Amino acid sequence: MENAWLIPLFPLVSFLLLLLFGKKLKEASAFVGILATLASLVYSILVLLERLSEPTYKAETVWLTIGDLQLTAGFEVNQLNALMLVIVSLVSFLVHTYSKGYMHGDERIPVFYAYLGLFTFAMLGLVISPNLLQTYIFWELVGVGSFLLIGFYFYKESAKAAAKKAFIMTRIGDVGLLIGMILLFWQTGSFEYDEIFAAVEEGAVSGTMITLTAILIFIGAVGKSGQFPLHTWLPDAMEGPTPVSALIHAATMVAAGVYLVASMFPLFNASETAMLTVAIIGAFTAIFAATIGLVQTDIKRVLAFSTVSQLGYMMLALGSAGYVAGVFHLMTHAFFKALLFLAAGSVIHAVHTQDIEKMGGLWKKLTFTGPLFLIGTLAISGVPLFSGFFSKDEILIAAWAHGNYGLFWLAVIAAFFTAFYMFRLFFMVFSGEARSEMKNVHESPSVMTLPMVVLAVLAVVAGYVNTPWFGSFLGDWLVEGNEALGHGHIAGPGWIMIVATAVSLLGILLAWMMYSKKSISRDWLSSRAPIVYGIVKNKYYIDEIYNQTVVFGAKAISLFLRFIEIFLVEGIVKLTTAAVQALGKTGAKIHSGQVQTYGTIAFVGLAVLMVIFALTGGYL
Amino acid sequence: MDLDTLLSFEWGTMTPEFIILGILTLLSVLDLFLPKHVDRKILGWIGFVGVILALVSLVSLIGHETTSILFDTFRLDSFAIAFKLILLVGGALVLLLAIDFNHNEGLELYKGEFFYLFLAALLGAMMMASSGDLITLFVGLELLSIPSYILAGMRKRNLKSNESAMKYVINGGISSAITLFGMSYVYGIAGTTNLKGIATVFGGISDAQHIYILGLAFFMIFVGLSFKLASAPFHMWAPDVYEGAPTPVTAFLSVVSKTAGFVIILRILLSVFGYIPVTQEDGQQIPLLFAIQDYIAFLAGATMIIGNVIALRQHNIKRLFAYSSIAHAGYILVALTAMSFVTFDAIWFYLLAYALMNLGAFAIIQLITMKTGSEDISHFAGLYRRAPLLAVAMGIFILSLAGIPGTAGFIGKLNIFMGALMVDQAHYVLVSIMIATTVVSYFYYFGIMTQMFFRPAADEAKISLPAGTTAVILFTAIATILFGIMPNVALDFLHTNFNQFVDFMR
Repeated sequence: MENAWLIPLFPLVSFLLLLLFGKKLKEASAFVGILATLASLVYSILVLLERLSEPTYKAETVWLTIGDLQLTAGFEVNQLNALMLVIVSLVSFLVHTYSKGYMHGDERIPVFYAYLGLFTFAMLGLVISPNLLQTYIFWELVGVGSFLLIGFYFYKESAKAAAKKAFIMTRIGDVGLLIGMILLFWQTGSFEYDEIFAAVEEGAVSGTMITLTAILIFIGAVGKSGQFPLHTWLPDAMEGPTPVSALIHAATMVAAGVYLVASMFPLFNASETAMLTVAIIGAFTAIFAATIGLVQTDIKRVLAFSTVSQLGYMMLALGSAGYVAGVFHLMTHAFFKALLFLAAGSVIHAVHTQDIEKMGGLWKKLTFTGPLFLIGTLAISGVPLFSGFFSKDEILIAAWAHGNYGLFWLAVIAAFFTAFYMFRLFFMVFSGEARSEMKNVHESPSVMTLPMVVLAVLAVVAGYVNTPWFGSFLGDWLVEGNEALGHGHIAGPGWIMIVATAVSLLGILLAWMMYSKKSISRDWLSSRAPIVYGIVKNKYYIDEIYNQTVVFGAKAISLFLRFIEIFLVEGIVKLTTAAVQALGKTGAKIHSGQVQTYGTIAFVGLAVLMVIFALTGGYL
Repeated sequence: MDLDTLLSFEWGTMTPEFIILGILTLLSVLDLFLPKHVDRKILGWIGFVGVILALVSLVSLIGHETTSILFDTFRLDSFAIAFKLILLVGGALVLLLAIDFNHNEGLELYKGEFFYLFLAALLGAMMMASSGDLITLFVGLELLSIPSYILAGMRKRNLKSNESAMKYVINGGISSAITLFGMSYVYGIAGTTNLKGIATVFGGISDAQHIYILGLAFFMIFVGLSFKLASAPFHMWAPDVYEGAPTPVTAFLSVVSKTAGFVIILRILLSVFGYIPVTQEDGQQIPLLFAIQDYIAFLAGATMIIGNVIALRQHNIKRLFAYSSIAHAGYILVALTAMSFVTFDAIWFYLLAYALMNLGAFAIIQLITMKTGSEDISHFAGLYRRAPLLAVAMGIFILSLAGIPGTAGFIGKLNIFMGALMVDQAHYVLVSIMIATTVVSYFYYFGIMTQMFFRPAADEAKISLPAGTTAVILFTAIATILFGIMPNVALDFLHTNFNQFVDFMR
């Protein structure tokens, strides 16, 4: 653990090497990146294993002296950091490997791997930072890396716009974070997590100030994690290459907001208002994004909205004092969402379109991708025995136990939607008749399928580190030695699990009936599954009801929310931009090039100052 | 003054100035007598060596005890040394750019003039850093200004260059007049031009009328000098002049000249207005400088807003950098407003970081504009594909100018933030404006980034890199990153060698 600081350096070295020699290495650049992240991964696993038995390690050195104030830099390996190191380096390694196949033939492979290296460096640096300032620095760097990667296909106008939008939207959140950070520093005299928490615990910071700083910091997390109302950049960010979406916009960067709230948890926990804000924003985002997900037809956009929704779940968990539940879901989500994105990439790679209306019948052709995608879909839908089931269950229990009953039911409904739209996606892509234009579809090379297999295995088994049946190892370990984080396992009523299972199965069933019906002949159904057949026989009836109620309702809500988004959120953004632009225009107009104007302005400025000075008797 | 007195002065303290003066004389004589066909670049290299020699002799003076010669008109204190370091480093880098500057507009003929005029201006700036008297301050200011006017008009057959020089002279004249008028009030009340003498007299001043008049004098001096800073309300000349002047001169104006402006403002503000006691309503006495803090804060805020907002609409890269340089002056004024005990550190570090990142950016701007003959931002399109390392270097400078962490620019801004929040009455509003305008600045800075990284190149031709410019880019890029990651290298140097500038008024 003493040398854990080396972990982020491997990708950095890869970035620098590729910057200098990338042009000569060409496609071999991939190996530089893969090796570097493999080194990080191996080291991260060793650090995690060591951390299981040893206490937290922290090393710091003086970095900057301002007056008699000393700011430090260093690294820390606590439970959360160690876990994040493994998640980030693992997903990054798999994405690096996968991209070897996905990006094959692109002449800018060295650039791609260089950017990936830079991003991975920043993300790993972020998760081992021992203080807020350092976190902020890497936080920004992560933003830069994401900016470059989203805009990778720079010849696409939309990609360029998306890159800029992502950067600016997250920056808006970052301003909140920066102000919160500076306020906290002003109140506690330190950027160190430990010292801030100690000061909060001693009562050195007033209650209002705790709420204010916590909410400001949360605004930073809202921007990065695509929570309402700063979520609009995330779906657009899908313009980047698909492996990038898997790495940045599913498993790592967007989870950074959740990570930030988790690592500042004792601060949030000290303020009821802040916790409630986090929970409400989280739950609202979860259901809001899920409804939008129902009507999207772009495979990556569906996944993007589902990411926004799942991140909302994590926020809900944290806001309901479910520290373990939030971090647990962060982990399982990283695996199954990365899997889904990579599988989606494999589909896109095969059929060269992202429109699910144009897909269908791919199950037989993509014999690896299909089942892998199914595993991811089952996991995210919360089907029992898959990882997502356990973590989502923890979140629901946390919300219930904390007394957020309203939010609990919102989350349950969102879980139903999730199961529905994910299986809608699955059926539309994989079942039904194959389209005529999709003759030459072939499975992706093994360099792409193998990383997916690894993630699929994790998407199944990762849940078992923390289950109500076999013990909450992860939970107990995460909160060990730190009472401020709450309990390793929150007990909840047993029916919650049954409800969760029921809604997810219901969602799947509905999706199946609606979107899979064409592919399955009646004979097949009636002979093998008479009960299901019986229900399906009435499908028209159910369809009607469904169309009249759920879909219509959901569509209405979705349209309404979309309306809010377009006219309210983007309107405010546009208004601000327009105001700044108009100001700039006027300013530029005064700059007519007339030298006498310049002199006049200087004189007028001077006169105004002196008149004010004179009128106020001098000193304001 | 007899010879003995003259010889008794410790002239060694002026070594850097003498070296510059000597080289400047040498260059003007050489330019006169060298045959026409000899490439004047050699003069530039001699000048460069001279600046480096001056820098070495200045470094050897670090730790020298505070001395003043010529009856307190020339001071060698830690403040002078610290800021002269930035001036000389900036000067050396600009000279390297000037050597490589080629423009097909007949500048060749006057290139020799360019170098010694430049050294004269640099000498003026250095004198300002060291002067302890209003007279020498003003003479230094004019010695800096007059060669600058000529430099701006160096491209004699270029209309824009002529316009630029003309506007610069007229505005400069106005500014000098205002400044001098303000100074005359100060002299009228103090009865001396010596800064230390003024401080002594003002320390015991109690007549409210006098203090009132000094308040008016403050505004005149501050507004007059804001011409050199290119800050509101005297900022409007900057875009026109920057655009028309040859690129190395623009670099000089935006870095060395601006630094000199802050030097003179700090000198006058602290030693003159920092000592006038003002009795507040609650009976407490505070210096006039603190009593009028809100006005400086207002100007700082206005400068940041004007610079950053108008920059959004610029398509000419030099105009854009003119507005960006106005904005940066605003940021430094925030530190000046706060007057915390880290103000000196913050301003020094920011000016250093600014010199590095801005000169690096101008080195690349010069390369591109010389290559394409146009200053439109669109010529940066696809730079990453044509010259990846150049684009990455420019990326570093822009990230630093935007204040993204990991670069010197971020540390500079952080210092200013902390300083403004550290004082008893923290300047929240000002800091908020600074953060908000910084966000606005991302739009235009990242506009350039988008051009460089996300657009196809219009022209695939290779860009040849002259040795001097390459050296400037390498040096500034490495230093920008170094001071961004290990800022203590610079700050420790400042703390160990300059002892918090306690000898400022001794």
